[in-house]
Amino acid sequence: MSFFGFNSKLPNEGNRQRHDHGKKDNNNSPLDFEDTYKGYGEYEREEDDYLNDETFGDDVAFGTDFDFGHGSSSANSGMISTNQSQGQQGFNDPVGMQGAQAQQQQFQMHSSYAAAASTTVPQQQAQMNVTMDMRPMESLWSNQPDMSTQVGQNEVLSMEELERQQIQMQQQQQHPPPQMFMPNYPNQQPQQPQQQFQNNYQNNFQNNFQNPQNMNNQFQQPPPPQIFNQPPPPNQQQTQAQMNQAPVHMDSPGQFNPQHMHAMHAVPGGMPMPMQMNNQISNHLHHQQFDPSLELKNQNQHRQQQVMGQNIGQNELLENDQALSTPSPKPTHQVLQREDGSIASNGNNNQSYIHIKDKGPRRMSRRSEPLSSEEQKRLQIRHAKVEKILKNAGLMTPRDKDFITRYQLSQIVTEDPYNEDFYFQVYKIIQTGGVAGKSNKDLIARAYLEHSGHRLGGRYKRADVALQRMQNQVEKAVTVAKERPQKNKDNTDSAREGVLGKISSSLNSKAPRRQLQIPSPKLSDEEDESKLSSHASSESLEEVTESLNNVGINQSSRSRRRSSYAFSSVDQISVLSRSGGRKFVLSLIETVYEEVLELEAQLRSGNETDSTGLWESLHIGDEAYDVSPFISMLSFDKGVKIMPRIFNFLDKASKLKLLQTFFNELSHLNVIIISSFKTNPTPTEAQLKKIELFQGVFLKIIVSFLSSSADFIEIMGLLLHLIRNNNVSFISTSTLGLNLITILISRAAIIKQDCNRTNSLSSPDIQAWNEIYDKLFISLETKLSLVFPPQEYRDTVVKETSQSGQLQQSNTQYFDQSYIWQFLASLALSGKLNHQRIIIDEVRDEIFGTINCAEQMKSLPDQSSAYRRDKLYQDLNLFLNVMGLVARDGEISELK
Amino acid sequence: MLFFSFFKTLVDQEVTVELKNDIELKGTLKSVDQFLNLKLDNISCNDKTKYPHLTSVRNIFIRGSNVRYVYLQKNMVDTNLLQDAARREAMSDKR
Repeated sequence: MSFFGFNSKLPNEGNRQRHDHGKKDNNNSPLDFEDTYKGYGEYEREEDDYLNDETFGDDVAFGTDFDFGHGSSSANSGMISTNQSQGQQGFNDPVGMQGAQAQQQQFQMHSSYAAAASTTVPQQQAQMNVTMDMRPMESLWSNQPDMSTQVGQNEVLSMEELERQQIQMQQQQQHPPPQMFMPNYPNQQPQQPQQQFQNNYQNNFQNNFQNPQNMNNQFQQPPPPQIFNQPPPPNQQQTQAQMNQAPVHMDSPGQFNPQHMHAMHAVPGGMPMPMQMNNQISNHLHHQQFDPSLELKNQNQHRQQQVMGQNIGQNELLENDQALSTPSPKPTHQVLQREDGSIASNGNNNQSYIHIKDKGPRRMSRRSEPLSSEEQKRLQIRHAKVEKILKNAGLMTPRDKDFITRYQLSQIVTEDPYNEDFYFQVYKIIQTGGVAGKSNKDLIARAYLEHSGHRLGGRYKRADVALQRMQNQVEKAVTVAKERPQKNKDNTDSAREGVLGKISSSLNSKAPRRQLQIPSPKLSDEEDESKLSSHASSESLEEVTESLNNVGINQSSRSRRRSSYAFSSVDQISVLSRSGGRKFVLSLIETVYEEVLELEAQLRSGNETDSTGLWESLHIGDEAYDVSPFISMLSFDKGVKIMPRIFNFLDKASKLKLLQTFFNELSHLNVIIISSFKTNPTPTEAQLKKIELFQGVFLKIIVSFLSSSADFIEIMGLLLHLIRNNNVSFISTSTLGLNLITILISRAAIIKQDCNRTNSLSSPDIQAWNEIYDKLFISLETKLSLVFPPQEYRDTVVKETSQSGQLQQSNTQYFDQSYIWQFLASLALSGKLNHQRIIIDEVRDEIFGTINCAEQMKSLPDQSSAYRRDKLYQDLNLFLNVMGLVARDGEISELK
Repeated sequence: MLFFSFFKTLVDQEVTVELKNDIELKGTLKSVDQFLNLKLDNISCNDKTKYPHLTSVRNIFIRGSNVRYVYLQKNMVDTNLLQDAARREAMSDKR
């Protein structure tokens, strides 16, 4: 065995041979590239080098092609695959043993260069002897058959061995001729220490599984067969292997030369030429036919050569016999075997055994008829797939997998899903309508199982067991997650004990680095500041007002002042500035949201809810500002949207107080201002949307509150708040304002009617109601026709709404006046006869205008105008019916 | 974890992912993890002429850091809920 891999005695290597002695000192002196590597000068042998022969062998030549094992040389691919397979085994096997083996393998490869170089030369026999001389000191390279190492391997491999034994037991049932792999190699070990190891795997299953004869042969082997009639040196077989591998390395993968090979075999084996030839060529032909893919083919060929070479003594004779004796089906089968061999070399042995076991019987049955090319192709694809799957199988134990799973899971599970996984949890509840919370962990387990591909439950198809395992893992992961230090808390001292450097525990998947760093001052400070400033501003405002009015500010004058403000502008800034500023209001809304979210979380967990915090955050009774911050909150969509959720947590008194404040300061409500045609004659689409939102959210709350829990006096109180503190005629120009008034008086009218029937309403109540109604009517009198918006306003609204395409109905083409007629109807309903007469007088023009409009529709033929006409009459009659009248076909008659 | 929570609700929905190298991939979101790595199934590349190598790819795993945008259908998002979730996140950060 030569470290540098070339036989110095070869004639064509003579040039190098001459100076190779001089180069053996490369342990001692620094090497100069020119001198040693490429140089061709003569060098003297050094004196101190007397051990070199023992170390590197005698008469070793240098080459320039150094390949230390993990080479990329394409000619080496066959050997490399073996190497790789060993490397993989190495994960499971004790390193020492495998390392030695790998080394051995490398030597083999390199000595094969020597053999390769010699192939063109006829004196192989001589070379073989030389190569045998070159074998290294076994003690130095730990080539010695070492029983302790052997034992060590057995111990470490115990898992695999167990599995192997199991498989063998199964195989024994399948194949009556007993295949004993394990017993096999301890027997052979002492005699053929290293070689046996790697050969065993391949040869064993190759020969034994499907060639019972071969297997028998293998069994007979342990006293190594004396086929060659040579004294068997320990490395004899190895040498032969080297010899036979030579062509593989010499030839480039594509150009495999069977004759070459045959020549190689013929000499050491002493076989009759024709037989060898026959076998080789037939095999070769089958490879060609069988494998369209060049790579696989070469792999197989290499494998084949290797196997044959290594086992030349026992196998080749037999193969030849078989090849000669069995007709056509046999070679095909051999090809299949080879394929298995290549797969086995890539996976570890364990897996290839399983693989064979799976495939074995089927193939056996199929053996008799040759496979069609299509079948072969399919088989090949299948093999490739299986190989891919099995390549790294068994690398991790189930414990390892569990650990990894747990570690990964611990990052995504949480013990408090509603807090940390809020969106997902609630979304699922909304989507499914069920309770997702209780099966949260189960869901994670299920999902994870699916993604990790374990859902089939492994070998025993126990999906339920797999799920149970995964659930266990999730449970454990939750525990791990719990024990994980809180990221927020240990932000400052992220350095752990004994750790060099800093672990950025603040930057993880849960708290990624932020693009924006917003400085957050202490909340309390902020609030104090804003309060101070607003106090200052309101104080200064008070001063001005005081100086202007020169009177003490009482409630009524203050509210009148507010009302006058309301007309000043459409934009909300002026209003907002009088309730603490836009920033303050927005921060208040967020506070409210936080309170509500907190309360909702408590409700979910079944705790008692305490809404005092929420109530305070609403600032309803806050007299510090001109306009209550609560009213300003309603200027924002998000402030409107939160209202229903606020109402869920307020008691009745709080709700009433809230509504009183609301009606009190109605004129300041941004949405009233923008919905009035007086202050906002050309509403934009966005404004109309805002109005719609308010109508859909807040009016709904009011209606439901009034109809469910408010009594007569409370409604009167709300109406009084509205009348006393606001300019009613202004509010009535707003769609929303008119709707609000309608809601109040119609609800009061309904209650009054109910109470009239039962006589439960006391006379002071009725009297109070009449007074309030009179007040309302007076403030509206002479301005009733003004509730009808001017034509331009209607056109703008129609245009905007039809542009936005929100409503696809035909009624987008005209302005819907039904809310006005509803208002008039409810006003008339509660009023006395003289009230009704005044109303009719004032809106007479509108009534006839509507009738005219409806009659014009009559002349138009299409469907929508007929619908429109019906709608107009319907709305009008809503009002007329209250007074016992009905409009029909252009005429007003008495309702019968 | 808000985005993780959010993207979990998009599993089995069809999304379009724009990567930082300008490739746009449309596919069914199969899986997402805490790093917002995405696994897409049945993908199709929006610009087949420019990226022909993606025409034969059926499923893909995308490292989260390579994602520029994920385009969603409007109806896949519950905006109000998302607002709430964002507020909760901000609240828990404050504490």
